[in-house]
Amino acid sequence: MKLWQKLSLVTVSVLLLMGMIFGTLVIYRSTVYNQNKTVESYEQQLKSAAYAFAKELQSSPIDSYREATKNSYLHFLIRRYDSSEYILIENGRVVCNETPFELADAADERWKSEEVFSIIQRTGKEYILLAGKKIPVSSGSDYSLVLVKDISSMYYEIRTQAFFYILIYLGVSLLSVLLVFFMTGRILRPLRELQRAAQDIREGELTRRADVHSKDEMGMMAEAFNSMADRIENQVTELEMESERRRQMLGSLAHELKTPMTSIIGYSDSLLHVNLKEEKKERALQHIYEECRRLERLSGKLMSLIGMYDNDSICMETVSMEKLFEQTLSLEEYNLKKRGIRLEYSCQMPDRKLDRDLFTSLLVNLIDNAAKASKEGQVITLTGKDNVVSVKDEGCGIPEAEIGRVTEAFYMVDKARSRKAGGSGLGLALCSKIAELHGAGLLIESQEGTGTVVSVVFDEER
Amino acid sequence: MKTRILVIEDDNSISELICMNLEAAGYEAIPILDGLEAESFIKAAEKGSISLALVDVMLPGKDGFALMEDLQGAEVPVIYLTAKDDVISKVHGLKSGAEDYIVKPFEVLELLVRMEKVLKRTGKSREKIQIRDVIIDLKEHSVTKSGEKVPLKPMEYELLVTLAEGKNVAFSREQLLNRIWGTDYVGETRTVDVHIGQLRKKLEFHDVIRTISKTGYRLEDME
Repeated sequence: MKLWQKLSLVTVSVLLLMGMIFGTLVIYRSTVYNQNKTVESYEQQLKSAAYAFAKELQSSPIDSYREATKNSYLHFLIRRYDSSEYILIENGRVVCNETPFELADAADERWKSEEVFSIIQRTGKEYILLAGKKIPVSSGSDYSLVLVKDISSMYYEIRTQAFFYILIYLGVSLLSVLLVFFMTGRILRPLRELQRAAQDIREGELTRRADVHSKDEMGMMAEAFNSMADRIENQVTELEMESERRRQMLGSLAHELKTPMTSIIGYSDSLLHVNLKEEKKERALQHIYEECRRLERLSGKLMSLIGMYDNDSICMETVSMEKLFEQTLSLEEYNLKKRGIRLEYSCQMPDRKLDRDLFTSLLVNLIDNAAKASKEGQVITLTGKDNVVSVKDEGCGIPEAEIGRVTEAFYMVDKARSRKAGGSGLGLALCSKIAELHGAGLLIESQEGTGTVVSVVFDEER
Repeated sequence: MKTRILVIEDDNSISELICMNLEAAGYEAIPILDGLEAESFIKAAEKGSISLALVDVMLPGKDGFALMEDLQGAEVPVIYLTAKDDVISKVHGLKSGAEDYIVKPFEVLELLVRMEKVLKRTGKSREKIQIRDVIIDLKEHSVTKSGEKVPLKPMEYELLVTLAEGKNVAFSREQLLNRIWGTDYVGETRTVDVHIGQLRKKLEFHDVIRTISKTGYRLEDME
């Protein structure tokens, strides 16, 4: 059963039950009250009639009358009042009765009581009030007066009232049921909206929000729900972007693997199936060897790139930048000397918290790149100042349109040249990742023909 | 004059690989490593002097698709040779007027066979193939040894031509069977062995058509 149904049912049953109990009580009370009131007024009537009767009897020498005279006198008396309402009893025997009723127990002692005794009898559809009282007269016989009154009309009235009450009760109940259903439906509407929103989000419609603006608990819940949806949407978008980046990287990787693979397969196929001259066979073997080395370098760089994507276990320590520069220089010395390129460096930098190995690898990569771009006799300058480390070369530069893309994995400005120099297209991607891990950014400024400056800019606030 | 093939490929090692094999198969290969260089070479070349161009799509300077116009202008049929094996690139390549589209990595034999097909279709294939003192006249469908005509059965002739067109490259028995007798032929690879035996005897090619263990046969001829 749904919540709105439950709520409505509970409210409606409580309401109806209360109405019923209240109504029953009211009707009962009013019946009793009316009955008492009526009985009381008739008793009063009887009392005064009895006194009047007593006076009449007192003033006449009733005892001295003969039987017949007394009877007719008594009839005469009673007719003066209202013979259709009163029954006169003398010594437990009905003397006058011109009412349409028969008094069965005229001898009953109750009618002889000083106080009024009354009883309501039901005969068929009628309610008859019988009220009897001794007539206070000192005479030889006991006289009692009994008032007979049909009070059905009172009951009829009460019944009519009860009927009206029930009618009103039903009307009000119907109205309240409708109202309760309507109101609970209205109050719970935001809940349904929330449910629909959640369902839509589940179906993948991530931009869906619950359209609830009330200020109550429902509104608060909807707000919480919407902010949760915002968060999820953001994270999903981020994840999608990340997976798209990875997908692109994998695509580039597959493409990048194809070239050396083509060579290796081609050369080995040739060696197996083609009748080659001796010197060509040697060339083929050499190519296979070189391509395999290229693959090996690629896999090494890829491993470090992926390694850095996945674990943050970098070891930060305070490092003297001057020493770091010297160390890097000693690593690169041989390589640069072979190419006939000079490296100058200056350091005016305070000690920094770095991962020594990663940062050295970053510098080596940048210097390698600079060396690849440079010709013999040119100078590479490594500068450290304040919060910027920069590597400057006088080489061929990067075309302006490509600067934004050079840090993408596998992106190469000049593929043929880059491959010849042993590049894999991963160097700058690696550098940018290392810089990011150090809270720094990679800034590349370049002018085609005059050279390139790659700067690692540390965020001072960190 | 040998058939001249233009090899436009930016990767040094692949370029050398293709040239090495083309030369072994008796073609003259001209390696070009750059798109712009290719453009100027094609413009300067004499019409008809280049029989076919093998073109990589991703090239520095000017990409393979852009070179198509120049190559068509010089009436050079084009086979694209590329690592891009998505359908869109293939369709684009073939629609732009290329004769064929080969995806890397490729096998040497496949490359040679496809090249030969394109050359035949465009009427640029060789008219005669000479192997030592044997001359195969592809127009006349005749074979002469030291000037004397050698009578060959049709299947023997086809087998000889196939081997000679891919000279220095090994064919498996299955490949020969499929290419000459057709894929529908329900025969044994023994059939190939029998015909090879006949060719060796008729042309005295015992040391020219060599049996390559685990593979098949190869017609060897080093100039």
